[in-house]
Amino acid sequence: MSYQTDEEKAEAIKKWWRDNGVAVIAGLALGLVIIFGWRYWTDYRNDLAAQASTHFEQMLYSAEDTDAATVLAKQSEQLDADFGATPYAALGALIAAKGLYQAGDAEAAIARLERVVDDAPDAALARLAALRLARVQLAEGALDAAESTIAAHDDSPEFSADFAAVRGDLAAARGDLATARDAYQTAIEGGAALSQLIQLKLDNLPSAG
Amino acid sequence: MLQSIRDRAQGWIAWVIVILISVPFALWGIQSYLGISGETVTATVNGIEITERDLDRRVQQTRMELRERLGAAYDPAAFATADLRRMVREEMIREVLLVEVAQRLGLRVSDQELKLRILSEPAFQHDGRFDNEAFQRLLQLQGLSERQFVEQLRQQLTGTQLIRAVVASEFATQRELEQFQRLSAQQREIDYARFAAADYLSDEPVADEAVDAYYQEHAERFRSPEQVKLDYVVLDVAELAEEIEIDDAALRQAYASEQARFVTPEQRRVRHLLVALPQQADDEQVAAAEAEITALRERILAGESFAELATAHSDDPGSAGEGGALGLIEPGMMDPVFDEAVFALPEGELSEPVRTRFGFHLVEVEAVRPSETQPFEAVREQLHEEQARAQAESLYYDLGERLATLAYERPDSLEPVVEELGLVQRQSDWIGREGGEGLLAEPGVLSAAFSEEVLIEGNNSELIEPDRERLRAVVVRVRDHRESAQRPLEDVREDIVTALRQQRAEAAALAAAETALAQVRDGEADWAEAMTGATLESVGLVGRGAALPDAVLDLAFTLPAPQSDAPELEAAALADGDAVVVRLTRVEDGEVTVSEGATSIPEAGLLAELAGRELYDTVLADIERRAEITREPLPEASDVD
Repeated sequence: MSYQTDEEKAEAIKKWWRDNGVAVIAGLALGLVIIFGWRYWTDYRNDLAAQASTHFEQMLYSAEDTDAATVLAKQSEQLDADFGATPYAALGALIAAKGLYQAGDAEAAIARLERVVDDAPDAALARLAALRLARVQLAEGALDAAESTIAAHDDSPEFSADFAAVRGDLAAARGDLATARDAYQTAIEGGAALSQLIQLKLDNLPSAG
Repeated sequence: MLQSIRDRAQGWIAWVIVILISVPFALWGIQSYLGISGETVTATVNGIEITERDLDRRVQQTRMELRERLGAAYDPAAFATADLRRMVREEMIREVLLVEVAQRLGLRVSDQELKLRILSEPAFQHDGRFDNEAFQRLLQLQGLSERQFVEQLRQQLTGTQLIRAVVASEFATQRELEQFQRLSAQQREIDYARFAAADYLSDEPVADEAVDAYYQEHAERFRSPEQVKLDYVVLDVAELAEEIEIDDAALRQAYASEQARFVTPEQRRVRHLLVALPQQADDEQVAAAEAEITALRERILAGESFAELATAHSDDPGSAGEGGALGLIEPGMMDPVFDEAVFALPEGELSEPVRTRFGFHLVEVEAVRPSETQPFEAVREQLHEEQARAQAESLYYDLGERLATLAYERPDSLEPVVEELGLVQRQSDWIGREGGEGLLAEPGVLSAAFSEEVLIEGNNSELIEPDRERLRAVVVRVRDHRESAQRPLEDVREDIVTALRQQRAEAAALAAAETALAQVRDGEADWAEAMTGATLESVGLVGRGAALPDAVLDLAFTLPAPQSDAPELEAAALADGDAVVVRLTRVEDGEVTVSEGATSIPEAGLLAELAGRELYDTVLADIERRAEITREPLPEASDVD
């Protein structure tokens, strides 16, 4: 490309701008929108999480009071409604489940735990919730439900000992002593929580005869 | 010419040059974004690097903490660098993982929460209030900017949200609590027969082959330990103080210059009556109060009882009930004006009205206990002790310094120390790594005695102060050393024969117990008949914590519950070598107090807390398994302190 005169140059630039000006401006605008939009979005998410966190801290605080079941239930529902996209909804539901169960509302507790199982932000939390769910179901006499809960979620080597302990309780409740004994033994060898208590249960099983 | 450059500058060559030049500018500093730091990395957790340098810093920190926590018991050798590094690295990996997980899950602690934490942190407080200066000072100490600190705190708190969520939401179900109560408070009715091993001891000869075999098998047990004999000098402030004599003239001088310590000031038993005035009383109120107090004074002078009037009219709530009595007071305890009046007043006389900031008082001195001074003779001993101790301490520091220098400069002998400092050289008997008595049992002294410097090189140890508070120091050197050695069979034959006879007796006792057990089980004999030759111990109903031999208690609570009337029996050997047969007759479950729908018993919280903590570890382990963690190999034994 070579130009004969300055007028021709200016003319060429103007022509180029007429052809491409809109695209350039649109591109710049789009870029700015993306940059600021992204920043707004992360700020918004941080802000939302921080708010949810404050609510959750409040729940932890109310959970220290054993009669706070109704308050906890309400706080948990609020977390669900306003901050369902944050992990705090699940953590709050775990806390609420405890409060509800201790207040005698096992059904509501089961519902909260099921919500965490389905919607936990991390698989480990889902397994933890499933473990508790199975124990509550067992305590409520829903043996088959407990069994299927265990079957569906006992898929991690770290949790297998703790699930084995519940399986032992389940078998003992059904009177299947041999299975219970095996399960308790697996639980103790795997280092399940409260192993000493499991040992007591194992020692106390009637002899097979 | 210029025109041709101008023409070329618009050609493709120019563009190539521009692009080449711009590359370094464009990439300048990019490594800090990509996390390529050029430092050696010791582990990576989900893409986040832990550098060698961070690890070094943490290891050092951990060492310092250990030293602080364990004090004199800290023995660097017990924490081998390689092991410590591995432990600390695992800890760091978990921390980083936790932060990463919290971030990935979207946990975030709010700014208000952070502010609240910082404001309520005791370390940043002064007189119970947040103190910005203390805050800044501590930050500086840790080499952190405020922003870095807040971010660090945010990470920490965010990490703890997960553990708090898991632990705080754990609970025990009603069924579990019932079972816990039944089992933990379960009682079992037992009795047992003890077959004493001593009854089965015999003098029957033991075969030489058996002795030989025992000697081979337990060779480790027949080794003499590695031992040293130590020469050492002790510098002890208590001993130094005993040597110091201080003459009476100096003591008297100390007595005179510290007179105030030995004087009990004059005390007076006082009662008063107060007509109170507000802080900013106007003239009218003052006049009224003055009139009232004057009237009261007249009444007392006219013969009415001070105590009764004080009880009825005094505005001092503390003393009115006591008839105005304030007890013994010393100068300086009360308002100065009040003090002055009290200590000017003759005993038993009623004062004029006294105006203090509380109002008008009437005061009476009931008794005077004059000032007392302890005579020199009574405190001579105490003074001597103090003075001697003070001198001994400065002597200690002086001698300690010279001792350290001498022991270091003349490492091959303690004699210069003895000659120049007049200290006594002491000698120990053989001592092993488990230590001797007194100073020689201190871990610091022992690790020095068995260190390469002292044991192998034969040098003096450095100055060791096992307990800084106690002002006691020691330098040791090894006079004699013997390696651990196998003791010859002949030396230990007697011990082995005794051990084998004991083994035989124990086996015989257990066999007797098992025979007796079989007789009862088969119905050949009843309990009392079968157990003749054993000591019968009737125990009755016992709980899990009963004071019984371990093996008996263990059997009692692991035997299955007896069906109908047939008791459960089992034999076992006790730790002391005797054998027992245990008979379990009844099991009684613990009382269940958990009522329908209620899950609050005292143990419930504790159980949930324990289980919660264990499950939190499980949750973390589960997360860790799924994380991408690479660990660089750690050097095995590069013990550099």
